[in-house]
Parts: sequence; C-alpha cells; structure tokens
Amino acid sequence: MVNFWQLTQNELKKIYIQKATWVMYILLIVILFGAALITITSDFITRDYNEDTWREELQEENNKLTKEMQEEAIFQEYNTGLIEQNNYYLEHDIMPPGYGAWQYVHENIILVSLISLFTIIVAAGIVANEFKWGTIKLLLIRPSSRVKILLSKYVAVILFALLTLLFLIAFSWLIGALFFGVDGLNPHMVMEKNNGLAYVSIIKEVLVGYGFKMVNLIMMATFAFMISSIFRSSALAIGIAVFLMLAGNSIVMFFAEHSWAKFILFANTDLSQYVNGNEPFMEGMSLTFSIIILLIYYAFFAISSWIVFVKRDVAGS
Amino acid sequence: MVVLSQSNFNNRFKGRYLLDNTAMKLINLKKSIGKKQIIKGLEFEIKSGEVFGFLGPNGAGKTTTIRMMVGLMRITEGDVVIQGKSIKHHYKEAIREVGAIVENPEMYPFMTGLQNLNHFARMIPGISKERVQEVISLVGLEKAIKQKVNKYSLGMRQRLGIAQALLHKPSVLILDEPTNGLDPAGIREIRQYIRRLATEENVAVIISSHLLSEIELMCDRIAVIKNGELVAIQSVSPIADDIEELVCRVQLEAKPANKAISIMKEEFGMDGDFDRGLIHFHCQRELIPNVIQSFVKNDISIYRVEVSKATLEDKFFDLIGENTIG
Ligand SMILES: Nc1ncnc2c1ncn2[C@@H]1O[C@H](COP(=O)(O)OP(=O)(O)O)[C@@H](O)[C@H]1O
Ligand SMILES: [Mg+2]
Repeated sequence: MVNFWQLTQNELKKIYIQKATWVMYILLIVILFGAALITITSDFITRDYNEDTWREELQEENNKLTKEMQEEAIFQEYNTGLIEQNNYYLEHDIMPPGYGAWQYVHENIILVSLISLFTIIVAAGIVANEFKWGTIKLLLIRPSSRVKILLSKYVAVILFALLTLLFLIAFSWLIGALFFGVDGLNPHMVMEKNNGLAYVSIIKEVLVGYGFKMVNLIMMATFAFMISSIFRSSALAIGIAVFLMLAGNSIVMFFAEHSWAKFILFANTDLSQYVNGNEPFMEGMSLTFSIIILLIYYAFFAISSWIVFVKRDVAGS
Repeated sequence: MVVLSQSNFNNRFKGRYLLDNTAMKLINLKKSIGKKQIIKGLEFEIKSGEVFGFLGPNGAGKTTTIRMMVGLMRITEGDVVIQGKSIKHHYKEAIREVGAIVENPEMYPFMTGLQNLNHFARMIPGISKERVQEVISLVGLEKAIKQKVNKYSLGMRQRLGIAQALLHKPSVLILDEPTNGLDPAGIREIRQYIRRLATEENVAVIISSHLLSEIELMCDRIAVIKNGELVAIQSVSPIADDIEELVCRVQLEAKPANKAISIMKEEFGMDGDFDRGLIHFHCQRELIPNVIQSFVKNDISIYRVEVSKATLEDKFFDLIGENTIG
C-alpha cells in the first residue's frame, strides 16, 4: 500500500512547480493591491469616525447620500441601504466601525469567482495533461490502483482550492491592514440579516460568505475534473466549465418559467438564497432540496470520472 | 552477425541449471480494438537473466503487447504472468516486479531529472535517497540531473527513463524501442547497462525494436512478430547444441534446376530460388542430407553444394520482407 498522502503530495508538487500556477497567485496579489488603491482613493467609504463627533458625521453622510440619489436615480437602492445602516447605528447608539482589514476581506468575497476559475484550470489539466505529456503511462504502472491515483489528483485539486482561498483571505487581510489599519480583533458591523438589519461579527460573515461561494467552486471544479478525465482534453474541460460558470445564471433565468428549472445545477449552487431574508429562486425549493440536488450532481460527476478513468485503455498517444 | 560473448554464455549456463526461472509468460495473448484483432494469440516465455528481443516492423503490435504486459490496456483474451502472478488478477503484485518505458521516455518536462525520479520514487514504498543516487550513477546522469528535462536530449531522456524503470529493482525490465533516435554510441551504452543488469542482477530484459541491427548485439533470443502474430523465436548466439536447430543457407548447383526446385517443394515444402545458375534456399541443417538423397534418387546431377549459417538478418528478411529493416 502506497501512502495515499505521498500520491497527493506528488500531485500538489506538480501543481505548484508549474509557472502557470505562480502566474495565478501573482495576478491575485496584483488585483488585491489594485483594489486597495482604488478603495483608499475613493473618499468617504474608508474614513474612520471620531469618537466624539460620529453622530454628526453620520447625519452629514446621510444628507449627502440623499442628495446624491435625488440627482442620480441609479444610486437609489444602494444609497437607501447605506442610509438605513447609518440610522441603525444612530438608533442603537453604536459607534460605526472604521474601514479595516476585515472589511476589506469581506469585500473580496467576490474574488472567490476568480479562484473558481483558477481551480477549474487546475482541475481541467490534472488528468488531461498527464495524457498530453505521455506521463500517464509511467504514473499508472505502479503498485497503486487507478482509483487511488485518480482520487489523489482530486484531493490535490480541492487542497489547491482551499490553499488559494486561505491565501486570498490572508493576503486580503494583510493588504487591508496595510492600507486601512486593523480595526480591533473582532470587528462588528450592521448588515441585512434574516430579521432585517443586525449588528454582526464581520469575521463570522467572512467565513459564512466564503463558505457559500465554496459550494459553486467545488461543483465546477468537480465538473471540470470529470470532463478532463473523460475526454482527456484540458482545453475542452476549461471551455465548458468556464462557459457554464459564466452562463449558469442566465441558463436558469432562461428556463425559469418551467417548473423543472429548479433541478438545474445552477439554480441550487447559491445556498445563500435561503438565508439573510432572501427569497429562494423558485417555489418548492428549500435548503434540503438544494443540498440533495447538489449531492446528486456531485455523485454523477465523481462516478463518471471514476468509471471512465479506471476502465478505459491507455492507448496510443 | 553471430555473437558469442562471455556474458551470453553465463546466461545460458545459469538458465539451464536453475529450476523454474521463467520471469514472464505470455499465454495466448489477444487484443481486439473494435472489430479489429491487433494481437492474435502471442505465446512465449522470458527467462530471468535473459535479454529478450521483441522484433517487428512498425505496426506489428509490439507497443500494444507491452501495454497489455504492464496493465495499461485491458487483455481481450489470454494472460500475462509475471513472476507467477497474473497481471489481470493480481495487478499490484505483478506490476511491482516490472520496470518499464512504454513507447517514448516521457517525463515531466518542467521538472528536473531528480524531481522526476523523486516523484516516481514516492509512488513505490521503500525507495531510499541512496537508491535514487544509485540509479542516477548507473545511467551516468549525475551532471545533468539538476537540469530541467525539457533541456534533455533524446538520449538523456532515454537514460532517465531507464533510471526511472530501475528505481524499485524490478526483476523484469521492459524497454519499448529504447534505441529509437540514439546514435551508435548511445546504443552501445544502453547495451552495456542492459547486459550488466541481466548478468549481474539476473533481471529479465525485454527490448522491442523494429531494427534488427540495433538489438541483435544485446539479445540472447529474439522473437519476431508481424501483424500481431509470432513468426519466429531465434537464439542469437549459437552454442554447440543449438546448431541442430539452426537454419542454414544453402546454395546448390544442380541440373535440371527446375526439377530440383519442384522436388524440394513437393517433398520438403521448401521454396527455392533460382538465380545465376544456383538454387538458393534455407533449411535446417539436419535436413540437408535428406534433400540431397532425394535429388540423387531422382537423377538430378549435383555439381556443387555450399552451406553457410543463415544469419538472423537473412531470416528476418525471409519472415518480414525486405524494406522493414533499416
Ligand atoms: N488505440 C488504437 N486503436 C486502433 N488501432 C490501434 C490502436 N493502437 C494501435 N493500433 C493498431 O495496432 C497495430 C499495432 O500497433 P503498435 O502496437 O503500436 O505497433 P508497434 O509498436 O509494433 O509499432 C497497428 O496496426 C495500429 O494501427
Ligand atoms: Mg511501438
């Protein structure tokens, strides 16, 4: 029995030794710096409040926001939200937090989509490239079963996603701390929750937010992995998976009138539709429903990769 | 091109006195892809300490056979038994005995030679750092081992491929066209490792090639395949008792020649060619007197008989057709 961890370690090494992987990380760093620079140069979002005068400052901010949305209708919704938040602080007499490292991390939840893209690229290559390089032959003539080798590759993909996600969080925090300062160990802020606005821990929000995004990430990575091991082509796997990731919501919307639309994968990948007072996408959907649908898709992806990889001949290159 | 070297002799000696030294056995091995049968019932054995040539023109089915030997391709019918273990039923136990290069010595191009070897070493339990260094020096790659493989020449990649195949001290080494793209010096070098492995470590080595001239010097026996079928197995080095089975090349001046040729055909099933006044044919040494006797009985005058040992090349020409050896 070869230690499963040895195989996984091999796969991780191969991922991180490639230049393409480092390009991904460099891109992420550049984006995090860029976004921080943009944030710090745009005026009042990032300001810290004064302990004595914060009530007046909030009031002034509200006036500004109201004036802005009277002039430009598109700001209506966004600004109303901000005004409601400010009012919550005033009513509960809580001094609003400044903009700090954790807020920056929270805003970068959107970058999880970029990590999904990176993970798709890695998942798409991890089986197909071995065929392209011809190394699959050397990989498979070892005393490990094909299932074990396939599984070690899959686990390496998931570990890559987790490590990159941790990197995103850690680096966002560092850059956030550098640009905006650290705002206490466990900063709180007012956010829209199940029962209207509430004063919540930002760190908890960060974890929950990244967690919800992970669902889509893992589903798409597993999908790309399946295409990679069935068709042995990374370009095809990247193409289809990225297309579906981008078009997923439109596909769901397009079929929204049909009752079977709720069975489409992408109708179920955003589990945050069931929290924070949001409405589920369609009637008859619930958290349990979505989890069952996700598990069915997941099992289908995993089993198809497995059967094809284990059964098929490794013939001419 | 008949070679009688000390190492060949040692192998044969060992081979004769060990009890069961079959390292690998092919049993009625068949492979069909779609409706097409590519391998049509191969059956032979390879002994420990033997260098076994697997010769055939391009497309004969050498790589397909090797892919089945190492479990990369499913066996349609028959079996491959390695050190007594079936690759079909006891894959892990059987593959543990095997080191191989299949088709091309492909490695991860973005990693160094050493990183590649460490990668494969991690896949098999019990390979020490020292063993990795040992195989590196065995193939003489010490200087280049820290370079990326995409900088390697084909010869260096072949050597790295062999190093990879030897990491776990396999008792069966399978090399698919290891001489492909190598210059004569490179081929000589490979020949030296392979002979050393067979004689000193008693490894059974299987070498495929489409070029007789490149492998005959390193093999003890050669199996010739064509269109997925075994057409001959031939010892390369004839030692006393092998001479009986040896095929000879005979040139005969006889009159009338056409009558002689038809008698050969009818009575012995041999094809003779008539060229520049001589009848040319191949036959086993022990049959030569019988052929001459029947000529005499049939009133054919014999003026001259010349017998020479048929070289492997002659035989290969006969079996495969001319344009396939280089
Ligand atoms: N995957 C495949 N599908 C169909 N035919 C194949 C496949 N692989 C090999 N063949 C055919 O099998 C025959 C043997 O090929 P191969 O084993 O590569 O020969 P060799 O290694 O002796 O050159 C060839 O005729 C080839 O066309
Ligand atoms: Mg071949």
